[in-house]
Amino acid sequence: MSEQENKVSAEIESGAPNKFVDVLCLVLSKLGFSTKYYKGSKQSGKIFMDVLDYLVLSLVGLIMLYPFWWMICASFASSTAAVTQTVIWFVNPTWANPLRNNEAFYNFSQFFVACETRFGDANFFIIVLNTLLYSIVPVVVGVITSTSAAFAFSKIEWKAREGVFFGLLAAIMIPWPSIMIVQYCMFVIFGWTENGLSMWVPGLFGSIMTAFFIRQFLYGLPTSIIEAAKIDGAGYWMIFWRFIIPLALPAMMAQGILSFFGAWNNYLGCFMMVDNTRWYNLPVVIQKLTQDVSATMGQGVVMAASLMSVIPVLILFGIFQKQIIGSLMLTGSKE
Amino acid sequence: MEAVNTVESTPVQKPKKRINQQKLQDNLWGWLFTSPLIIGTLVFVYIALIITIVLSFTDYDGGNLMDYLSGGLHTVDGNPFYWYKYIFTDADQFKYFYSGLFNAVFYMIGIPIGMFLSMFFAVCMTRDIKGGNVYRIIYYLPSVASSVAISYTFQRLFQFEGAINQVLFGTDQTKYIRWLAPTNVTGANEAWNPAFLTMKWVIIIMGAWKGLGGTIILYVAGLSGVNASHKEAASIDGANGWITFWKIVIPQLWPTIFYNIVTSVIGGMQIYAEPDMLFNGAYGFDFRVSGYVALIVKWGPQGNNAGHPNFAYAATLGIILAIMIAILTLVQFYLDSKADK
Repeated sequence: MSEQENKVSAEIESGAPNKFVDVLCLVLSKLGFSTKYYKGSKQSGKIFMDVLDYLVLSLVGLIMLYPFWWMICASFASSTAAVTQTVIWFVNPTWANPLRNNEAFYNFSQFFVACETRFGDANFFIIVLNTLLYSIVPVVVGVITSTSAAFAFSKIEWKAREGVFFGLLAAIMIPWPSIMIVQYCMFVIFGWTENGLSMWVPGLFGSIMTAFFIRQFLYGLPTSIIEAAKIDGAGYWMIFWRFIIPLALPAMMAQGILSFFGAWNNYLGCFMMVDNTRWYNLPVVIQKLTQDVSATMGQGVVMAASLMSVIPVLILFGIFQKQIIGSLMLTGSKE
Repeated sequence: MEAVNTVESTPVQKPKKRINQQKLQDNLWGWLFTSPLIIGTLVFVYIALIITIVLSFTDYDGGNLMDYLSGGLHTVDGNPFYWYKYIFTDADQFKYFYSGLFNAVFYMIGIPIGMFLSMFFAVCMTRDIKGGNVYRIIYYLPSVASSVAISYTFQRLFQFEGAINQVLFGTDQTKYIRWLAPTNVTGANEAWNPAFLTMKWVIIIMGAWKGLGGTIILYVAGLSGVNASHKEAASIDGANGWITFWKIVIPQLWPTIFYNIVTSVIGGMQIYAEPDMLFNGAYGFDFRVSGYVALIVKWGPQGNNAGHPNFAYAATLGIILAIMIAILTLVQFYLDSKADK
């Protein structure tokens, strides 16, 4: 009753032409919009916008996650047709037997078999080890060499510093696809395309972008630490290992993990630079496997393999998400 | 060299000598600490670039590069610009060239779409709500996954009987869209044939989905750097949220947006893996979807011309790509500096 009364009195006060407009404006005001008859309520408006915000973000968040979920489901599906028809769950009612041979991990075991038969001397473990080799060794060593360059560019005053720096910076203007053919020819001369060296030796020398980023980070550190160490008689070598590496570790970690993702997922590099099937990495193996997809080995095997290549990086990202996002934010605000 | 000179030219005085010693140390360690990066860049980028330029004037068609270079360089028909002329005068090759370019540029439609969406979600995430960073993590997940795995996932999702059609149109198969394999194609197998638009859209949607998170994080960082007192001053002057956004936030965010545009255009010109995976290009060139880089791969050692690779021609295509990207980047910087005035 009292609610009714309130509304009636509100109608009189607001001076709206009829009841419908009045209620509409009242609702709008509760949602935070000002109209001719009611002033928008800031407090309830904020709540309304918050709810809307959560709704939109969650809905789109589902879209962002859905392909991953689908990948998990499809990797259990029994045939190419079953993979295709998967929407939210791999059990398809029109198929009497959703799992092939009643084996939940049939597709995964098929992937092991395919790895052993399809790629010469390689098998699943060799392929995973290759991928790890390509993504851990060059990244760890490369981040250290990049940091040493960043240290020289930010904290040491030497003659050719600016010239060398811009000489290196100019190199990032050269797109990799332009020079990859000649790089391949060079690696053939060195013999690196046959033993996997082409995939990790170049990375040992560090990357310009990583050095550039860590240089920005080191600029933020006080020079007084280095001066103090110098007075105490420490040389640059010692300063680098004792002070710079520990201090720059957060930035190094973040850059290293980002490079790790890039190296783990590197398809074009391995596909161009490796001639020996023994040294293929996971993305190339998955790509080559799709050419073998047939009635006996459905698309589910490809999805199982894809899932296996995605899960390690997702877990790693989950562990280090704070550092990675923080590092990305830093690049964003610096640029 | 310089270090030695400074030592020689100074008179022998004790305190100065100490300083010179320090200078010598600085120069020595400056070079030492940067030497790995300098050597790597020189060998794998600059020397590779010089050889690429040299080869683009020759008739090198595979085989051991060392043997070829030591045997002396040979141009084709005595014309060093043979391949540069070949691209633009041979009707077939010219069609490959501009089709690849057309496709790569067409996919750039995704850049403004992605920017608009990321700006929207970045604003949503920076409102003071709890758990905004959880969304940041979720939205960034696609960026860390391998494009090979993602491409095969999308290839299945967009099948005729796949999940996307089922979700959009239910069980009514007459409404289903043949995303990846359009039927009733009229006209030639050409890049700009509208019959193949759905194929291109799948690539654009996939690119937007994969790239959204990274751009959002850039924008969130930029948005939190926007000067709060400017915003407050604007609202006191009576500006509403919309005007504040356009007149205060966007100008302060412009460096971030500009950086994002430049890197996206450079990356967009180099698109390769996604079209090749989604449509099983098998290292060749598909007029309907392939980007420019597919041409370089096609003529390279692993291409579907593998029996007859033509590295000189691939090098020429690479040089032209580098020049185009450089020009595009310069144009963007020029437009940006003009807009500043």
